[in-house]
Amino acid sequence: MTTEHTDTAQKPGYKYIGKDRKRVEDPRLLVGRGGYIADLRLPGMLHAAILRSPVPHAWIRSVDATEALRLPGVVAVLTGEDCKAKMNPCMNFGPATVAQYPLAVDKVRYVGEAVAAVVAESRYLAEDGVDLLEVDYEDLPPVTDPMAAMEPESAVLHEEHGSNIGCERTFEFGDVNAAFAGADLVVEDTLHWGRSAGMPMETTGAVAQPGFNGVLEIYCNSLNFSYFAFLIAGALRLPSNKLTMKPVPAGGSFGSKLAAHKVPTLAGFLALRVGRPVSYVEDRIDHIVNSDHHGCDRYYEARMGFRADGTIVGLDIDVVDDYGAYMQFGVGHHGNAFSQVVGPYRFRDVRYRLRAVLTDKCQQGAYRGFGSEVHNWVLERLVDSGAARLGLAPEEIRRRNFIQPDQFPYTIPGGNVYDSGDYPAVLDKALSMIDLDRWRAEQKRLWAEEGRCIGIGLATTQERSVFSSTEFWSLVEKPVLPVTSSPESATVTIDPTGQFQLLLHCQSMWGNSPETVGATVLAEEFGIPPESVNVRYADSAHALPSTGPGGSRYTVMVAGAIRGASRKLRRKLIQIAAHTLEVAAEDLELVDARVQVTDAPETGLTLAELAGTAYFFALSLPEGTTSGLEESYTYDHPYTTLPAPDGSDFGVFYPIMGHACHIAVLEVDPDTGIPSFLDYVAVHDAGTIVNPRSLGGHVTGGATQGIGTTLYEELAYDEDGQFLSSTFRDYLIPTAGEVPAFRIGHVETPSPFTEYGIKGGGEGGRMVAPAAVSAAIDDALREYGMRVRQLPVKPSDIVAAVQAGAGRAEAG
Amino acid sequence: MKPPPFTYCDPESVDEAVALKSEYGNDSLVLAGGQSLLPLLNMRLARPEALIDINKIGDLQKIERRVGILEVGAGVRQYELEDHPLVGELVPLLPEATGYIGHIENRHRGTVGGSLAHADSAAELPCTAVALDATVVVQGPSGTRTIAAQDFFQGWMTTALEPEEVLVAIRYPVTPWTAGHGFVEVARRVGDLALAGAAAVVNLDEDGRFTSVSVGVLGISDTTVRASAVESALIGEAPTEENIARAAKEIVPSVTSEDDLHATRAYRRHLASVVVSRAITAAVARARERSNGK
Amino acid sequence: MTTSTAAKYGIARRTVTMRVNGRDVTREVSTRTTLADFLRDELDLVSVHLGCEHGVCGCCNVLFDGHSVRSCLMLAVQGDGHTVETVESLSVDPTELHPIQESFAEEQGLQCGFCTPAMVLRTKEIIETGREMTDAEVRHEISGILCRCTGYQNIVNAVQSAGAKLRGEATADGAAGGRS
Repeated sequence: MTTEHTDTAQKPGYKYIGKDRKRVEDPRLLVGRGGYIADLRLPGMLHAAILRSPVPHAWIRSVDATEALRLPGVVAVLTGEDCKAKMNPCMNFGPATVAQYPLAVDKVRYVGEAVAAVVAESRYLAEDGVDLLEVDYEDLPPVTDPMAAMEPESAVLHEEHGSNIGCERTFEFGDVNAAFAGADLVVEDTLHWGRSAGMPMETTGAVAQPGFNGVLEIYCNSLNFSYFAFLIAGALRLPSNKLTMKPVPAGGSFGSKLAAHKVPTLAGFLALRVGRPVSYVEDRIDHIVNSDHHGCDRYYEARMGFRADGTIVGLDIDVVDDYGAYMQFGVGHHGNAFSQVVGPYRFRDVRYRLRAVLTDKCQQGAYRGFGSEVHNWVLERLVDSGAARLGLAPEEIRRRNFIQPDQFPYTIPGGNVYDSGDYPAVLDKALSMIDLDRWRAEQKRLWAEEGRCIGIGLATTQERSVFSSTEFWSLVEKPVLPVTSSPESATVTIDPTGQFQLLLHCQSMWGNSPETVGATVLAEEFGIPPESVNVRYADSAHALPSTGPGGSRYTVMVAGAIRGASRKLRRKLIQIAAHTLEVAAEDLELVDARVQVTDAPETGLTLAELAGTAYFFALSLPEGTTSGLEESYTYDHPYTTLPAPDGSDFGVFYPIMGHACHIAVLEVDPDTGIPSFLDYVAVHDAGTIVNPRSLGGHVTGGATQGIGTTLYEELAYDEDGQFLSSTFRDYLIPTAGEVPAFRIGHVETPSPFTEYGIKGGGEGGRMVAPAAVSAAIDDALREYGMRVRQLPVKPSDIVAAVQAGAGRAEAG
Repeated sequence: MKPPPFTYCDPESVDEAVALKSEYGNDSLVLAGGQSLLPLLNMRLARPEALIDINKIGDLQKIERRVGILEVGAGVRQYELEDHPLVGELVPLLPEATGYIGHIENRHRGTVGGSLAHADSAAELPCTAVALDATVVVQGPSGTRTIAAQDFFQGWMTTALEPEEVLVAIRYPVTPWTAGHGFVEVARRVGDLALAGAAAVVNLDEDGRFTSVSVGVLGISDTTVRASAVESALIGEAPTEENIARAAKEIVPSVTSEDDLHATRAYRRHLASVVVSRAITAAVARARERSNGK
Repeated sequence: MTTSTAAKYGIARRTVTMRVNGRDVTREVSTRTTLADFLRDELDLVSVHLGCEHGVCGCCNVLFDGHSVRSCLMLAVQGDGHTVETVESLSVDPTELHPIQESFAEEQGLQCGFCTPAMVLRTKEIIETGREMTDAEVRHEISGILCRCTGYQNIVNAVQSAGAKLRGEATADGAAGGRS
């Protein structure tokens, strides 16, 4: 079984957009020349290794580097004391009282936190130096259980903050008590979504060098530094014009390299101290235990009310989020949840109590979904629970609650808008691709005849895309920096021979397809072969405003920017052609890399001819036209509004709304607790599709990560704060052997607000798979009363549930 | 994540390797396939003064048929057990079990002796060695000696190998052609260390009753376990589903593993009898096929 | 026992000669240098990617005497007298890809490219067994290399498509050999 594309809504108007084409990024990657950070070598470059804390919570009394500094090849040892003296805290969108440095200052707050860095002639020697460091720790009580951490008697991580509660707020839209009072059924559940992470195959790394004119240059495989570079400069106490972030493609991110800041900040700090280029590339253990970006770790008490016909009437969430030791993004993860808090459903009454708790664990960051995937799992768990109690099939209860195609644009509780969608069409497409009746009959037969446990799980998700920066602060009572911009820019150049250069203004390549998207849009606009476009990335000293990939925004935003620049270029080309051909501009059109007379297409000029004129024949240009063919365009968020001043809503901040439905069929061996997939259908609506196969790859990749979070992956701490999964032997990323042969279908509901109607599609796979797989496991073991309440659900959990269920059956 | 400094020795004979072991004793580690040792070195969890690389010792790389015996050199790569015709013919359990060791990339490099000497309780080769009543051949300064597999594995990553000794070969009794074998293991992902697994070899008499049952179990204790209680519960019995299931429960007291990240103790107690029962069932099916001349 | 046996090994550096991508190379290396670091740092074969350095992810896989191995789990000195192939042995020219590389491009069997050289090499090894495999068998055969981007589906397609291509089989729609 292989991926099966089911295209609908053909776009005959487009020649390149919407077609399966090879990616322009791939040839260099296939010959092993991805240009990754570890491949970069600068003359005189040194290497850094870090000492990781072996204890979860302790005062650092001293770090003795005497022996390390004696080792030949070791150049320097730096500690938190140096950071405190010569740096400001790292970039931080959370409470200022929860400050973080790239090396722990005064105390360590989790196992694996960086305590000291050794800079040496090679990574081998740097690690030899780390071995020789002696640290005197004064242990403090570990704070590991978020519930206990909130108690007044708990040890406190950040003395300046005063408690372990980073943020506590309750939001209510509508009247949940009234809604539940009128409900025929209220289901409730206690759920825990465990910690996993993007965990790309390439770790985060940076090479910093003191450059020309006192400028510090930092090469880094992080994504957003056109937007954030000044914050790194601030941490390094540099004027922002003395820091240049150099873009380096990333070997995967999934959130983990979104504004990854500890690594480049540390590399920059070390380079400034030793006055030479310094490379710090995390090894795998560094990355697992000390990255910027562990995923969500949430405990829910959740309730949902229903009428007897299955209509959902309200949702009541009480969530404790175990943020770990720092809160770099504040509680933005819950802003993501609010962007689609009702899912695809019509109910209006929502209450959401949030407590963000600080514990002795690595900080949370971004991971594909950024918190909305957790909310969707909770929502779908509750919907399934209600369906089971009301005797409704999972597809039926959803169908009865969907926002209808004629209701868009649709404002949800909390103020965000869903731009467009056709949820019944997505569900119908998914159902058409899988014969549910046959599977349900087969399920019954195999249970009756062979005692085999087949489960079918169906789930949906909203896929919010294109965030507005208002979500950074709209949940906070007194925002420090209430920004409203999240632009993206592009520069398109046609060179004197008619060849295209596309300059992107951030590092946006991490395995997504920014170059393919860019080249496809240019091909569409100018009728040139996409493969002929050369794509480059600007460093932060040359970059126009750019926010970078994240929140499934990049394809939409960069397409908008490129189209804006293209319009300007097209206008200039036509003006030059009109002048040269002595015809009116309005009588000309640009078709297949040629400007021609609309009514006499044989009369025209190629782009190469026009480019030659533009660059070399200034006296042949129309008056007021200057030489050259280069245009830039900065595209702002297409649709965002300010939150209400009284906090009664968050405004429109994530309106470009995709949707997906996944149906998983699996078998669980009740004796071993091992699940195995039998079929898997995933249908997504990401608006107009630029490249179906690339989008399909994101769906399958995201769904695989969702399966990982659901069944395998766990960043596990024990109750003493020790880390239990610090290697790939224990942090279990799914292999090809665990994941299903996905079958993909597409529905296209173009966005009314974006260029070409594109919506983001990078995260939906991971946002829905956990709900579908959880439902399938429940369904497979329904005879035993299985209910997935905690992720990952492991073979031990499954067998324990089976045994308990069997025990109940015998007792009954 | 880079190895610490060490003195690298690459002897070309067993005698020289033994001489080096005698000199360095516990300060040295033998590097065979490196699939377990190199990760420990890279993470600096092992810091030997000397690394004695035995990969250049040609004598360790032979697979030979002796009278009633298949002798496999310690340096034979694991994948060769899967591919070598002699192994499949003489001890058919081995290729099947070997296929569960890590991934093919690990088996291309990993050796038979390396796995035995590493003595991971969840590893396949120690388990099959115990189930097959194999004999381990070691060489020390005073010559060679043989150790029954069951005595060789002594505890958590501990063997009967003395600090100055080198493991040179393992001798497997040739499996009778009428016997059936089965190997079952359960892991969270393809290639992961097993949560539990079992190797079984059985013989049935003319009436189809067990005349011999030999079962090794991995992943449930600090070392691989011979399921003697299961075996004795089955001798003379008919291989019915009920009998096998009942006997398989005899493994439960042998489960000593505590809770870990991947499985609870309660789960392993349950799983142990599941894999034992399934391995015996598979072995019975094969024994029947063979006696039916298939 | 004298220390004479050990004495001859007391050298931290060795000269090694190995045949890499069809050429003999001789270098002096530290005895603790891993094969992966040697290929990357001494020979600039940066297609050998370090993903975990403890033998799980497979991104550093190379063909060693024709068999795929984790190059992070070998020492460079162990390569002395042996043959190593990296993906650079197929093609280093992005405009002239090897048919296996071409199949990966056609099927989009890659996204970030970090596991890709290992997957391409493994595909070569699988195809050279001469055995036609089901998709499920292909999944098992590539399970020693972790890919975090693709969800593997397009890699399975690429392996099947490349196999069909190299065996000279005509495929229904050209690129999509493995399609059912």
